[in-house]
Amino acid sequence: MATGKVVVEKIRGRSTATSCFSKYPLKFILPTKVAPVGTDVVWIYSITYGGGIVSGDSISCEFTIGDGCTAVLTTQSSTKVYKAIGSKCSEQTLEVMFLSHVCYNHLSCARIGSESLLVVVPDPVTCFSTARYYQKQNFRLLSDSNLVLVDWITSGRHANGEKWDFEFYKSINNVYLEDDKPLFLDTVLLEKRNIQSIAERMQDYHAIAMVILFGPKLRELQKQVQENVKNMMSEQLQISYSSRRHNPDSRVRNGFMKPEFIASCSTFGPEGKGVVVRIASDSTESVYNFLRQQLGDLEPLLGQSPYA
Amino acid sequence: MVVTFLTIASFRFRDATVLIDIESLSLSFTFSAFTFIRSSLLLPFVYSSLKSPDIETWQRLDLLLDATLTNQVSSKASISQGSALFRIAASVFTEIPSLKMIRDASLGSSKELRFHHAPIFGLVCGLLGMDAETSQRAYLFVTLRDVVSAATRLNLVGPMGASVMQHRIAVVAETVLEKWKDREASEACQTSPLLDVVQGCHGYLFSRLFCS
Repeated sequence: MATGKVVVEKIRGRSTATSCFSKYPLKFILPTKVAPVGTDVVWIYSITYGGGIVSGDSISCEFTIGDGCTAVLTTQSSTKVYKAIGSKCSEQTLEVMFLSHVCYNHLSCARIGSESLLVVVPDPVTCFSTARYYQKQNFRLLSDSNLVLVDWITSGRHANGEKWDFEFYKSINNVYLEDDKPLFLDTVLLEKRNIQSIAERMQDYHAIAMVILFGPKLRELQKQVQENVKNMMSEQLQISYSSRRHNPDSRVRNGFMKPEFIASCSTFGPEGKGVVVRIASDSTESVYNFLRQQLGDLEPLLGQSPYA
Repeated sequence: MVVTFLTIASFRFRDATVLIDIESLSLSFTFSAFTFIRSSLLLPFVYSSLKSPDIETWQRLDLLLDATLTNQVSSKASISQGSALFRIAASVFTEIPSLKMIRDASLGSSKELRFHHAPIFGLVCGLLGMDAETSQRAYLFVTLRDVVSAATRLNLVGPMGASVMQHRIAVVAETVLEKWKDREASEACQTSPLLDVVQGCHGYLFSRLFCS
């Protein structure tokens, strides 16, 4: 049985949560004052009791977004995954379905898909030392659904000296179109037992993030983000390159310093309709800044900028 | 150990993308990390394809990999190399008519097939009758060789140094093969997100030796 379930549908022309259920250790809060009056959006905060997930917790959620609705799913603070007891793993699964009323009524055949928008903008997952965490998020879209998905992880509690010190982290994000057609399948696995430690693989970066933008409503945003990332990275890479050239001693390579923030964009899906941005940064703060800046254009649709 | 980037020489040589550092230890980190990525992400596709080398399986895997290889640079490289491999294999192995048959049927297909490298590699190995372990080892070998070769071409390591490095990494590659071999495509995952980010930066470089 699901730990949490939310259904958002259009009632009298407004996006409304018609069903909202959650049980321990999960709680949903749907504040109505996040967006200015008149904005058609439902904000859903997902909270875990105690501010984190303990060993053996298993949280599964189902979200259904109806025709033309807009919903934001976010967290109150970073999801902390506490240390594992034995080999128990903590897990979270999320199933999201975008439904068109066409599915319910077999006589109607004119409309294809909904024009809904789901924005998933959580705080990052932070796994403490020896933690084990598994997360699976499935999204079933119609071809004109819109999705903004942010999924990210930080290296742990720096103050305690924990740097990528957890046992196991697996995050699966699968996006499907109609008829179970795979659109975007991504699984990130960070496991301690590999030949190379996670910290080595991450070098000195402390946060890894992924942002997916898909859907016709997000076209302008996609273009803007791609342009911004390209400008930002081209500048960084060219500066670093020229500082190396000026260093006469070829044995001393310290001239080229690692960029503190790296991002790259790729398109995916039919006709490149989707954009994925991958980010590596040496601080969580700079990722927040980046997300705030890049997703700021969503404010008119959501009533508030994500990560404000 | 402080790792400094000599240059984010993110490039593609066939299907190789490497992040290079002048310290040889870091260079081997890069190679090993890269071997990991290819193993955990692509070896399952090679395996699934060679296990049932038929048109339906191969087409399904090609579409699946297209959704999984979300890095544009990596994806384009895979398509380019896969198309070439398929074309050549169909012409060379005339004693296996199904290669040409599958290729011809797929070229004319309405499905959005991409001809990614890993499933085609598996398909060819499977139709040639190679066993699973040899085929997967061969795939890893090709990957490692390409990466080392690209580093040599960029003059970041000499040919002798490259051979030494490849020999050292071969041990790591064997361990990695043990861990990631014989898995279904549904188990594919990426284990080095940092390299994924950097590989995507290929298009932002001022100058590139290899095409994207």
